[in-house]
Amino acid sequence: MSLEIDRVSKSFDGKSAVLGDVSLSVEDGEFLALLGPSGSGKTTLLNIISGLTAPDRGKLVLNDEDITSVPAARRRFGMVFQSYALFRHMSVADNIGFGLRVMDRAERPSKADRKARVEELLAMIDMAGLGDRYPAQLSGGQRQRVAMARALAISPRLLLLDEPFSALDALVRRDLRRSVRDLQQRVGVTAILVTHDQAEAFEVADRVAVMRDGAIEQIGTPDELRARPATPFVESFLGLGPTAPDWTI
Amino acid sequence: MSARPLLIAIAILFALVVIVMPVAVIFARAFAEGFGVWLAAVSEPETRSAIMLTIVTALIVVPINIVFGLCAAWAIARFRFPGRRVLLVLIELPFAISPIVAGLCFLLVYGAYGPVGGALQPYGIQLMFNLAGIVLVSLFVTCPFVVREVLPVLSVAGEDEERAALTLGASGWQMFRFVTFPNITWPLVYGAILATARAIGEFGAVSVVSGAIRGQTMTLPLQIELLYNDYNTTGAFAAATVLAFLALITLVLRGLIALVHPVRGAAT
Repeated sequence: MSLEIDRVSKSFDGKSAVLGDVSLSVEDGEFLALLGPSGSGKTTLLNIISGLTAPDRGKLVLNDEDITSVPAARRRFGMVFQSYALFRHMSVADNIGFGLRVMDRAERPSKADRKARVEELLAMIDMAGLGDRYPAQLSGGQRQRVAMARALAISPRLLLLDEPFSALDALVRRDLRRSVRDLQQRVGVTAILVTHDQAEAFEVADRVAVMRDGAIEQIGTPDELRARPATPFVESFLGLGPTAPDWTI
Repeated sequence: MSARPLLIAIAILFALVVIVMPVAVIFARAFAEGFGVWLAAVSEPETRSAIMLTIVTALIVVPINIVFGLCAAWAIARFRFPGRRVLLVLIELPFAISPIVAGLCFLLVYGAYGPVGGALQPYGIQLMFNLAGIVLVSLFVTCPFVVREVLPVLSVAGEDEERAALTLGASGWQMFRFVTFPNITWPLVYGAILATARAIGEFGAVSVVSGAIRGQTMTLPLQIELLYNDYNTTGAFAAATVLAFLALITLVLRGLIALVHPVRGAAT
């Protein structure tokens, strides 16, 4: 699915804009990262895409469908939250199967089919046999993978990732970055990642949009950004300036 | 020397003198003349009607309280709106106001000469000195219980989980039913039990608005006082055992909840 974001604006207090006329297009199957410091509006933009926050102005078009006023529950976008937001009173299997269980009767798969789908996803995230555990019994990395599987279970039209690695220690983070990228490729879903970590964005994403003060400063492939940073902000934020440390990944 | 035995002794002695003894005496006095006399006393038509009225009141008040408590706790925990802080304070107000003052306030507003009661009078609607009045003041005094138990849990039970449910396609109802409600089930039940205990035992506020019509608007606590003032000690103590028994049931339920309260999922 391709997503067209057309001049989206948002202000929470009616005065200062958190997002000002942001336009962006995400191609089918692409992995895009929204990269920026805190307060740059990247999370707000992701929430607007998910439908959890309504934009003041602007339009969102998915393929050829205007989804601006479609509620979050009807968008079928899988979302992985920074806190993972796993349902603490449900087992891992019930967490993953939740999106299938709440489907309209007409579309909802049978109980057996749902169970099979959950097993398949558990195997995909290397957690086969752990479906009976509860979130509190899992490691941070396992919780992140469950959150990922839960988002993928609904065969999402878009995958949205809000700082999904920030709560993990460095070693686990490296592993999971690869596995998230790997899962996205295997499923073939268009994905948008929000992060403040340039190494993470460069490693995972096909293209990176650098955000600052509610606007997109520059967008391009990691190679393009490295070779031709458009503004001094991009250059310094990516650590590309003359005094910057070595940025080998 | 260690303070340990002394502290334990003080605690136990205090509990015995202040809590156990009075309750034990009620039961002892009530059954002093035998079970038959006790049974006859509690089956007196007036006492029976008081027991029924008390139970009916609780059955009306507690469900309304649960619904209101859930709505208020949800609104305060999830939304920022003008008057939110005021609402928070208002809900606690019944704890601060003496029940008898609350009863008088209701009488002044909903009585025949009050603004609301006066306006309803021509239509033949009377809100005081009957079940409606007793229910109204009981709602007032029990109002804080459910909100107070549910609100703190709802505030920490992440909004993120609810947002996740929405992105996964859940309707508002499904989100509440499958995600929000399981997190607040026990606080809700606990609040409802406390509200029930209070509704059953309330004396002051109810005594002002009940009108004290024998066999009609006497709740159990009022009936006990009436019997006692009539020098019918056996009847008073027998009725008191019924009230104490209802209170003990709520106490046992409280204990049971503490036992089964699920502790898994401290962190997600």
